[in-house]
Amino acid sequence: MEEFRQPIILGFVALYMGICIWVGLWAMRRTKSAGDFFVAGRGLGPWVVSLAVFSSTLSGFGFVGGPGLVYATGLSSIWMAVCSALGFATGYYLIAKRIRMIAEVRNAMSLPDIVFARYGSEAARLLTAGTILLGVLGYLATQILAMGVVLQSILAGTEMFADISLLASVVISSTVLIFYCVTGGIVASVYTDLVQGIVMIIAGALVVITAASVFDGGFEQASSILLANDGEDVMPFGTLGAMASLSWYFLFGLGLAGQPHVATKMMMNRKLSDNQAILPMTVFGYVIAAMLWVSVGIIMRALVLGDVALPLSGADEAAPAFLSTYAHPVLAGVVFAGLFAAIMSTADGFLNIGAAAIIHDIPKAIRGRSLDNELFWARTATIVLSVVAASIALFSGQLIALLGAFGWGTFAAALVPVVLIGLNWKQASARAAIAAISVSLLINFVIQLWQIHIPYNISGGFLAMLTSMILFIAISMMEKPKPLPKDIDRILEL
Amino acid sequence: MKPIHAVFALLLCIAGITIFVLLSDPPPSATGVSHPTVNGMSLGGDGTEKLSSIGRAPYYFQIAVILLAGSLLYMGIPAHRRDRLLRTWFAVGLAFAIFVWISLYTGYESYLQTGQTKIVFGFPVPTNWMFWGIWGSFVAFDLFYVFTFRRYFLHPDDEAAFHQLVKDCEAERGDD
Repeated sequence: MEEFRQPIILGFVALYMGICIWVGLWAMRRTKSAGDFFVAGRGLGPWVVSLAVFSSTLSGFGFVGGPGLVYATGLSSIWMAVCSALGFATGYYLIAKRIRMIAEVRNAMSLPDIVFARYGSEAARLLTAGTILLGVLGYLATQILAMGVVLQSILAGTEMFADISLLASVVISSTVLIFYCVTGGIVASVYTDLVQGIVMIIAGALVVITAASVFDGGFEQASSILLANDGEDVMPFGTLGAMASLSWYFLFGLGLAGQPHVATKMMMNRKLSDNQAILPMTVFGYVIAAMLWVSVGIIMRALVLGDVALPLSGADEAAPAFLSTYAHPVLAGVVFAGLFAAIMSTADGFLNIGAAAIIHDIPKAIRGRSLDNELFWARTATIVLSVVAASIALFSGQLIALLGAFGWGTFAAALVPVVLIGLNWKQASARAAIAAISVSLLINFVIQLWQIHIPYNISGGFLAMLTSMILFIAISMMEKPKPLPKDIDRILEL
Repeated sequence: MKPIHAVFALLLCIAGITIFVLLSDPPPSATGVSHPTVNGMSLGGDGTEKLSSIGRAPYYFQIAVILLAGSLLYMGIPAHRRDRLLRTWFAVGLAFAIFVWISLYTGYESYLQTGQTKIVFGFPVPTNWMFWGIWGSFVAFDLFYVFTFRRYFLHPDDEAAFHQLVKDCEAERGDD
């Protein structure tokens, strides 16, 4: 079977992409309005929402970048994953119910709609939409680039496509993504997320079993090798140290609920009571899939430090090298499909909220109403956004790094105080929201633009988030409380 | 004390510890050292030296973060549903989370002093506290959400009040 490794992998990836296209066609029949396109008419069941929430959270970073980080720096980055139980808890304790209630009462279609409903400020809506658009462009560009690189590495292993270019690989993979996002909108996005989530869970579970069998003594032998060679790497804070690890825990644990592509999905469930089932399924799915992150990274590091395998050319090679050397071809096929699933499930969420920002939120903030024929413009904006992001990914050079930094940290720093605290504290004010978003953007931009090195590798996103949270509460406390609209006031009581 | 005041105080504590760390003089191996032969890989270096300038700042930092997380979660429960049982649960849950953290950190300090650690379930003991303890201590809060959902998070009376609000809003807008 080994001689058919590449065709088998390619077959699984092709099958997965075929399913995505089929879902897109199926979802097109269910997408009749902008409400269907952006929030699925708030009619999704708990299984779909839970898998959509977890698969959107775990992007391609978790499947490629995560193992690479463990290979390079030991267990420091695992703090980004072990915080998931706290992250989902904050999401469901603090925002899931209220965001869904406001969405129904105000017919909200996006997070900026929620922000406007809460604060009654078009400036806050515009800043939220602008933050989302900036973050989406950066995040989406990196996801599209990752898709292209992975597809190129798979196709280059076959005779027929040995010389395929990165451009062609980006075009092929983006076409599938654009197709199902344009035809089926968020309905296609969440139902492909369902498939993607299942593939990721299966891939995560199978990889752990495979990784445990690479050394005769399993993970215990791998840990012994690492303890003998370095020691710090397999201890809780890895090679980067305690402050770097703990700042990631703060940023990723408390920042999860501020991720707009995750929070938006909390508006889509059919019934409020579904949240009771959605939370545990989300936590369970995430932890199984994230096991790939730690197991592959640890094993590859132990193999290299134990002189069993040659050093890798780059840290991001950890997962592909593991799969091509130690995984059964069928498992490699499932995991590569899982990798595409991880990337696409995040990218489609970004496309959806980015399109909403362009055709719904920004026009509403500027001229008081959204565009006419929103469904048509939503589809057009999805295509335009994809093409712009793909162009940034391929041709921008430095810009992608700058925009890429406008990812998780930016969303967390800008939106956590505004959404997470604002939906649970009546005194929170519009002025505080505007200040928190503006200052967090400024801090993130300055750190990235001037490449400021922060001692102990403390995360810049953490510093921005901490500052914006303090500022948000301080300004709100200093202001005289203003009465809220009746409906929002009643929702904040529930 | 209102939960928002606790949140604000804890944020200030975290900011204070962070400023102390940022102003300290980091040793050369504060964030690891490059591996001499393997490209792109770093080694941990001397763990004791790493903490020489900041002492137990990470220890207190994380205790404040755990308490902050607890205060935020507490804010998410409607004020009129907060009762003694809830406060007891939060006290127990947060005490457990802090116990896990103390076990992790003191285990790590013990490793730094002796260079010895036991391997359990394939990983060193402090690492197990991180994998299962840090994750598990907030899974306990996730399970609390599931099992007490109708008591604290969506009480039938609150759900009915929400449906009434939807009806009121529809009537105000003149919807059918």
